[in-house]
Amino acid sequence: MTRGIALFRYSLTRLLMAPLMLWLISSLVFLLVRVAPGDPVDAVLGTRASPAAREAMRARLGLDQPLLNQYFDFVNGLFHGDLGNALSNQEPVSGIIARTLPASMELGISALLIASLLGLMVGFLGIFRPEGKLDLLGRIYGIGTYALPPFWAAMLVQLLFAVILGWLPVGGRFPPGEVPPDGTGFLLLDSILEGNWSALNGALRHLLLPASTLGFLLSGIFSRSLQLNLSRTLRSDYVEAARSRGLREKDVIVNHALPNSLLPVLTIAGITVASLIGGALLIEVTFSWPGIALRLQEAINQRDYPVVQGIVVVVAALVVFISVVVDLLVAALDPRVTY
Amino acid sequence: MRLKGYKYPVNALITFLCLFLTLGQLSCSRSRDRSKGPLIVASAGKIISLDPAQASTFDALQLLSALGDPLYRLDRNGNLEPRLAEGLPQISEDKLSILIPLRKQILFHDGTPFNAESMVFSIKRFMRIGTLNYVLGDKISSVEAVDKHLLKFNLKRPSTSLNGLLTSISLTPVSPTAYKGFESNFLNNKFVGTGPYKLKSFHEQQQRLVPFDSYWGDQARNRGIDFIKLTNSISLFGAIKTGEIDVLISNAIDADHRLALSNMSKDRKLIEGVGPALEVGYITFLTNTPPLDKLTLRKALSMSLDRNLITQRVSYGQRTPLRSLIPPTLSRGKDTFWPEYSPNTARKIFQQSGYCSGERLKLPLTFRSNVPADKLLALTWKAQIEKDLSDCLVLLLDGVEATTVYRQLGKGAFQVVMLDWRGAYPDPEAYLAPLLSCTKSKGFVCLDGEAVVSGSFWTSPGLEQLLLSSDQLFGEDRFDQLREIEQIAADGLPYVPVWLVKPKVWLQPYLEPPVFDGSGHLMLQLLSPQTND
Repeated sequence: MTRGIALFRYSLTRLLMAPLMLWLISSLVFLLVRVAPGDPVDAVLGTRASPAAREAMRARLGLDQPLLNQYFDFVNGLFHGDLGNALSNQEPVSGIIARTLPASMELGISALLIASLLGLMVGFLGIFRPEGKLDLLGRIYGIGTYALPPFWAAMLVQLLFAVILGWLPVGGRFPPGEVPPDGTGFLLLDSILEGNWSALNGALRHLLLPASTLGFLLSGIFSRSLQLNLSRTLRSDYVEAARSRGLREKDVIVNHALPNSLLPVLTIAGITVASLIGGALLIEVTFSWPGIALRLQEAINQRDYPVVQGIVVVVAALVVFISVVVDLLVAALDPRVTY
Repeated sequence: MRLKGYKYPVNALITFLCLFLTLGQLSCSRSRDRSKGPLIVASAGKIISLDPAQASTFDALQLLSALGDPLYRLDRNGNLEPRLAEGLPQISEDKLSILIPLRKQILFHDGTPFNAESMVFSIKRFMRIGTLNYVLGDKISSVEAVDKHLLKFNLKRPSTSLNGLLTSISLTPVSPTAYKGFESNFLNNKFVGTGPYKLKSFHEQQQRLVPFDSYWGDQARNRGIDFIKLTNSISLFGAIKTGEIDVLISNAIDADHRLALSNMSKDRKLIEGVGPALEVGYITFLTNTPPLDKLTLRKALSMSLDRNLITQRVSYGQRTPLRSLIPPTLSRGKDTFWPEYSPNTARKIFQQSGYCSGERLKLPLTFRSNVPADKLLALTWKAQIEKDLSDCLVLLLDGVEATTVYRQLGKGAFQVVMLDWRGAYPDPEAYLAPLLSCTKSKGFVCLDGEAVVSGSFWTSPGLEQLLLSSDQLFGEDRFDQLREIEQIAADGLPYVPVWLVKPKVWLQPYLEPPVFDGSGHLMLQLLSPQTND
């Protein structure tokens, strides 16, 4: 069997497994939110509503149905692409996701770019002088950023750059007095498409602090990973062979060692992207970023079952999809990978 | 092995940092022309609905008070001031019906006329689907339009507290035309009422209000309001400190931020506004099961609480110690019913009950884990008991998420639990009935009613009758009876009031000082830049 066919079979298996995985995840979430103490009717009506009003609301929300019926309704809706309506305000869950997911993705992608740039630069520094000061600093940086509690770092950054220095806004996604551009929900992209430079500036200013903080916190993983892989690769036989052929050191590193060292970094980047799609909750809460993680947290507090279920299912689907794509990408780039 | 060329990544790193700092510096150049745009008002609460039938949170009601008009408003002295009503309510001789004359030539935001029919539509809709409709349920039997501008309420029983209820912004009229098709459903992201502002846009994070040109009363003194949500205390604090927002409305910010903002206002860097204190913090005892079914133990516990110390430690004195269930602004005369802090008396009671001589009473104290003040109160009280009564009493702290607390409260799940309450309308009844009302009882144990929902399960023979009759009295007679009820509750000790929370707002110094209405809402339409003269 050729490698191409093996790769195709592997991809197909992964994709066929995806619906099963999603069904398991959604069923688990369906059960877990209902097992949790608290009642969505309380969130809508408060605890002092009359029993009649509570029953009427329960009937209107479909919560008076047996659990099995509710489950079948949920699964049936899923098959038809209907995630239901929020219990708290009857807004379609798909609309909530369509509004909040781009915010989280914009933050996640920006943070990932910053993390890759920063992490790879720091990781690269130590290679030139192993065991030197820069190498040591790079290691401390890698471990330190990974170990920093996100909420603490975020609050510190917010306090310094927004409150004390006043350079950047403390929170939110767009200047409150202005109207955000319409379109895809990715404000940077929409501003550029509209040619609205004032909106682009506003969106960028609000994005800079949360994205940099998140990027900074994630960059340690990249720097450590690159540092370890690159130093190991530089000691390998094929690099020695390249050197013995008289190649310049820079060419040895850039053309021979770096591509192989970046492969594990790509896998890490894939896992990070997948986790960021679910949103970086603590960053979103600290910076009042209206992303999907913040909305999920609110929905959990309100016991808003359809919103929790809908967000978890969509995020899980995206995570599955991205992990398959990353696997395929690694397979395409690294001929040593077998299936 | 040492390789050359490390300066490239170093240079790249420096370039990256420079780029970050440059972008930061560019951001510094931002500035808003305060006189041209809307005022930015920030709060921590999320507004999911602006339907008066659905909205129940403080922030939603605050916004509704700018978008709609109540029939009456309470002035700072607690007197009724007609708004959409043209005069004071006319009560029939048997006190079972109330006539309210309405103002003429008032328009809804959609241009349709306001009249008695639209008021009937709105009140019936509220009674049918309103989340707070229980406040009307036992009072109003029907509402009708006598003529085009005369409204009539038919009551189930005479009710003095109805006056306070008529000031509720939840009863603000909505346009029957705009709400056609939503008679039995909520219309969450729109509002078409009669208030000084129109709702221009509604998003979960931001609502934009613009002045309503055809408003019947005084026009808004600003060019509109952008009401935004910031999720945490440090964001709110930073936003007002850096001038990113014009006004901060929030009871949700941390005590140290409140203190810092108050200090800034003393230095004239901000303006602080304080509204009527209408939120009470209290502790509930589960009185129908041991050990707190014993009144003596509840008394000892109540005396172990040093309100002055607790309010100082938890809020730096920003909250006021409270020894009554009704906020002093709504009661007249005596407002100290509950026992004072007296650790020596508490010790004696514990000793008489068989504790303190090797035996310690162990009590779980539940607090809402997502309310920072509750946690601080629990920690302070525990520490205080360890200092005063460590050989008699042990408090076992138990943090539970608020949603779960409210759900489990009426099931008798918590022996001692810290909660707060803000009446649905500014009247003493809105504080006493939700905590003390009991429709079915056996001795001092309440089997059904508000006292069960509140988690105390306590009542006193004759208390329900007193509550009902107090709602039929007027003037000093009513206040005398309310004081009697409070004294009965203070003697029975199902609850221990701890503190009073005043609504506070902070404004940038270029704005005129804020004005609150009697319901504790900031009057957004009166916010305006200071004039130099």
